[in-house]
Amino acid sequence: MEFLDLIVNVSASTLRLATPLILVAMAGLLSYQVGLINIALEGLMLIGAFVAVVLGVAAGSAWTGVLLAAIAGAIGGAFFALFVTDLRADLIVAGLAMNFLALGGTAYLLQILFNVQGSYTPADFASLPVLDIPGLSDMPFLGKLLFRHSPLVYVSWIIIPLTAIFLYRTVPGIHIRAVGEDPEAARTVGISVRGMQYLALVLGGLLCGLAGAHLSVGDLALFRENMTDGRGFIALAAVYFAAGRPRLAALACLLFGFFEALQFRLQTTSNIPTQFFQMMPYLMVVIMLVAISVRKEWQKG
Amino acid sequence: MKQLQEVARILVTLALALIIGGIIMQLSGKDALNAYQVLWNSAVGTDRAIADTLLKATPLIFTGLATMVAFKAGIFNVGVEGSLYMGAFAAAWVGFTFIDLPGLALITLAFLVGGLAGGLWGAIPGYFKAWFKVDEVVTTIMLNYVAILFTEYLVLGPFFVPGMSNAMSAEVALQAQLPRIISRSQWNPSFFIAIGTFFVVLFMMRRMTLGYEVNVLGTNATFARWAGIPVRRLIVLVMFISGFIGGLAGAGQVLGVHYRFVAGFSRGLGFDGIVVALLGRNSPIGVLLAALFFGALRSGAATMEMFVRIPRDLIDIVQALIIFFIAIDIGFGWLRRRRQAPTEPSEPVAVAPAGD
Repeated sequence: MEFLDLIVNVSASTLRLATPLILVAMAGLLSYQVGLINIALEGLMLIGAFVAVVLGVAAGSAWTGVLLAAIAGAIGGAFFALFVTDLRADLIVAGLAMNFLALGGTAYLLQILFNVQGSYTPADFASLPVLDIPGLSDMPFLGKLLFRHSPLVYVSWIIIPLTAIFLYRTVPGIHIRAVGEDPEAARTVGISVRGMQYLALVLGGLLCGLAGAHLSVGDLALFRENMTDGRGFIALAAVYFAAGRPRLAALACLLFGFFEALQFRLQTTSNIPTQFFQMMPYLMVVIMLVAISVRKEWQKG
Repeated sequence: MKQLQEVARILVTLALALIIGGIIMQLSGKDALNAYQVLWNSAVGTDRAIADTLLKATPLIFTGLATMVAFKAGIFNVGVEGSLYMGAFAAAWVGFTFIDLPGLALITLAFLVGGLAGGLWGAIPGYFKAWFKVDEVVTTIMLNYVAILFTEYLVLGPFFVPGMSNAMSAEVALQAQLPRIISRSQWNPSFFIAIGTFFVVLFMMRRMTLGYEVNVLGTNATFARWAGIPVRRLIVLVMFISGFIGGLAGAGQVLGVHYRFVAGFSRGLGFDGIVVALLGRNSPIGVLLAALFFGALRSGAATMEMFVRIPRDLIDIVQALIIFFIAIDIGFGWLRRRRQAPTEPSEPVAVAPAGD
């Protein structure tokens, strides 16, 4: 029985920890499919986290914070798109700038607005309430595992099929993939390359904002400097790991979430420093990328 | 004439970024002019201020040169940060292991092993790129995290020192600790090693066949192949050199500043190197000047935070603005060429046309 409890606990925290990863991975997926390496995910997510808690407190509601975080993320995505499309900035350099701006900007504002360094915990501010799905949340084991989570956890589950449907079943989604496949050909058949790049980056920014909001108001209400902690890059890793397929990317996020959950457990029960497990996702991506390329080279002969 | 134009462009970029930084300070209710004055004074006003500026510039010279060498070959190495960590740990390991060696020998060995560790770490994604056409941007980003976590693992696991509260290694032997040059500043001789590296890189790029080949590869990879340059081996070698210099940066910080390996100590020095290389217009002298500029900003910002209560994070914002301006600069033709270079894999990664 105790063992079963352990499994339920680890699985539940896997789902919780995978949530921001899944949301950001779907953002990264849109960029991937339109043919852009988006390293600004990290910064956009950080902006979302900051906006959610700061404006949420100002508005007195965590939900308003989430909404504004999504909007802020979308605006950030549009700003980034402006640079990489209209201003013809290099993708990686602009992404780097975006991340520096988010990191420096949020840390700067934290001190200017609240006069605190490092982290900010608002007083008397409730994070998003845990959403018990009526009827289902009382089931033994499964209830705790699946149906007692912060609302954005469920949102992330819905976003996965939505992203898949959007990319493969709707006209804008198919156009996005066409641009990613071959921008010149897409242009020839009258698809706006610029428009699709904007669309992918703005929608991506919106998802990054949501992911950030989950970090800052999803479970606890607080903002920490650089609180995204490389999650944008883990999500990017999941996207490359899955070669751009939504369900596989989500699965990779779950796996990475599982590593994170496991490591919280191991921290107390094992002698191996958790950093060893933490570095596995990154290592796996490198191995995967090499494996994919080797196979491709091999097929070419 | 062309060089004059380049310099003018850089100055305009810097001025714009600083002006916007000033506006941000004004908007947050601070006196921007006064702040910049304090920043200037505390960056170059006194002997100690200058020493601090040179101290902060030291790792940036290394990481800037490291990034530049790769850029020259058309390789976007984002992995200098990882090399820096590997180099830092390796240097610390030499420093606390071979404690019977005399000072000069120990320091030399530590720098060499540090460089080697960083170089080998850099060569891994180089090898993947050269032989399997794996895009280096994604792999180097991932390997950064592996290096940061792996070195933290080392000091918490196999090289754990009982009684140490934070994740740090044992102290390097006393004779390996680079002395401080003036009192009340951590400025140390690793600065001169950075300057030495600058001259070596300058010589390599201007006078050696290797430098010529690197330039050809960076300008036109197809031509490089036709000209009989062993492109694959060259890519690995360039990544090794880039990583080696990154490793030296880590070694310099360990032997000159911390005297031990501290987990997570760098906080982006390798990424700053990208900014330095970009601002320095990818030329060795430009990199040196840009590193000194950022060194001054960083050392000045610490004092500015103390005296006029402006968060030093303002410098990150200014830095971000500078990169944005550089990113949209039409003059950076090589950045755009990078996307068309035939060495790039035909993954969706490479299809990415930077806009239009």
